Amino acid sequence: MKFSTNQQTSRVIILFIFLILLVMLPLVVTNYYWQHLLIMSLVASVLGMTFSMIFCCAGMVTLGTGAFIAIGAYASTLLVMKLGLSFWLALPFAVIITAMFSFAFGLVAIRNPGVAFVLLTMIFAEIITQVTGQISFFGGWGGFIMIPRPNPIGPIKFTGKLPFYYLMLFLCLLVVLVFQALYTSRIGKVWRAISLSPHLAQTVGINVYRYRLLAFVIASSAAGLAGSFYAHYAQTLAPSTFGGFFSILVQLYPILGGINFYILGPALGATIMTIVPEFLRITKEIEPIITGLLVLIIVLFYPGGILGSITQLPRLGAISISKRLKEIETWLSNMDPRR
Amino acid sequence: MAVLEIRKISKYFGGLAAINNVDLDVFDSEILGLIGPNGAGKTTLFNSISGFYPPTSGKVIFKGADITGLRTDQIARIGISRTFQQTNLFMQATVFDNVSIGFYMHYRQPRWKAFLHTRSAKNEELVIKQKVTELLDFMGLSPMKNELAVNLPHGHQRILGVCMALGSNPELLLLDEPMTGMNPTETLVMVDLIKKIRDKGVTIVVVEHDMKAVMSLCERIFVLNYGQKIAEGKPEEIIQNSEVIEAYLGTEEE
Repeated sequence: MKFSTNQQTSRVIILFIFLILLVMLPLVVTNYYWQHLLIMSLVASVLGMTFSMIFCCAGMVTLGTGAFIAIGAYASTLLVMKLGLSFWLALPFAVIITAMFSFAFGLVAIRNPGVAFVLLTMIFAEIITQVTGQISFFGGWGGFIMIPRPNPIGPIKFTGKLPFYYLMLFLCLLVVLVFQALYTSRIGKVWRAISLSPHLAQTVGINVYRYRLLAFVIASSAAGLAGSFYAHYAQTLAPSTFGGFFSILVQLYPILGGINFYILGPALGATIMTIVPEFLRITKEIEPIITGLLVLIIVLFYPGGILGSITQLPRLGAISISKRLKEIETWLSNMDPRR
Repeated sequence: MAVLEIRKISKYFGGLAAINNVDLDVFDSEILGLIGPNGAGKTTLFNSISGFYPPTSGKVIFKGADITGLRTDQIARIGISRTFQQTNLFMQATVFDNVSIGFYMHYRQPRWKAFLHTRSAKNEELVIKQKVTELLDFMGLSPMKNELAVNLPHGHQRILGVCMALGSNPELLLLDEPMTGMNPTETLVMVDLIKKIRDKGVTIVVVEHDMKAVMSLCERIFVLNYGQKIAEGKPEEIIQNSEVIEAYLGTEEE
């Protein structure tokens, strides 16, 4: 018993050090552009975590992450620009509105959590893009510009990058805290059971549908939170910002970082996917190709993602490339439709 | 007293009747054997009772209440638990976690309290851990409670399946071929375990092909063939029943 509490204290200490590092980071990274990338990494981390929750807990693949970021962003922008609300009020409202949308959508879509769900989320994302683009009330295809920055709190004015970095860090920590509390409670236990075998989960008396809906609504609300922040940070918002490709990109974060690490995995993947492409900028047009290749290599040879491979290293050693190639070959031949 | 009453139940897959007009009573605290050749409809009957698919017609009555057409989780909730013919476990989870998920229905604290990790929710978690440990002791799985389910030998995996089904504290336990693929020693252990579970007051229905095990285990046997009941009675009666022998071995002309 005592041993476990000791372990917990050491974990808390490590997390605390990590947190201090995150808080100190902008003091080292003083360049505006790099600070911007840090902020975007935090936004992307939150989005990756939402995908992770829907995928690892509810066992569903969503292509509609973009839709719920957009709902959060638009809700918050409209509340501020049309109703004159303060950002600090609009933020929680945007989260509530996103939750309501995701609840209504999930109620219908989760009835069929397989391929139908993937398609429905994709269609939903497209509908949101079209609605915001076609209707002038939502800004039309041109979208909104000059979205007001958050009102100053006391002496803190939201100019430059620093206040935004700390605000996003705070929001990100909030999301991590909520997600971690869920994952370590019995709700998380039930989610893991559902992701391992929804059928079996049902036979022990779990209402799988309701738990899936819960995961979906919580994850989507977090995406709405990120969306609301993004709108007031970028100060511009257009339907194309969160298009279809964006939702696909979000999937890569947890896969790259480590799909079995619900919080650290997406955070690591998101940071890499935000920062590495910037290094490849010198290659100009072929940058996406190189990024794509890098991701492909990691996904094919290290299916556990970066964290998965690191934690397995001491036990298994690195997977030999020839062995992995053989595995991929058999896997591909099993997919051969002629067989 | 009949715990479970099945009235004129039928299940059609397209035009094919997997079970046809079957009546079955299961009495309190008995071990009922459900036997029949392959494809006789035994598993279909289990699936219809446990809500995997609703019967085409007929009624399932549990403790006087009609439960036909309820969802699987609702049926588990009212006290009917089942195991599967194929080993069906959370393979990538530990033995302990498998069983503790089986105890899902013991949680009484609301979900928001679990989310906030309140003292009462934590206490409940401890109580359930205690219960899981007790059940593992009872079933003899304690030494391997931290192993992944996938690493267990087959016999132990089957026992773990029963363990999970018991977690919900069922009044009626449906075991679908619990001894499949077991060696004679493991079968004996399983027979003993099932008897021990019955002695705790659980009513048990067993589908099984191992006749020796069925004869030593069951007090009453119900025989299905081509989706219909062909015999019902004590083990010694069933052995001598000509229709049963015919169903299993074929007639002499063949």
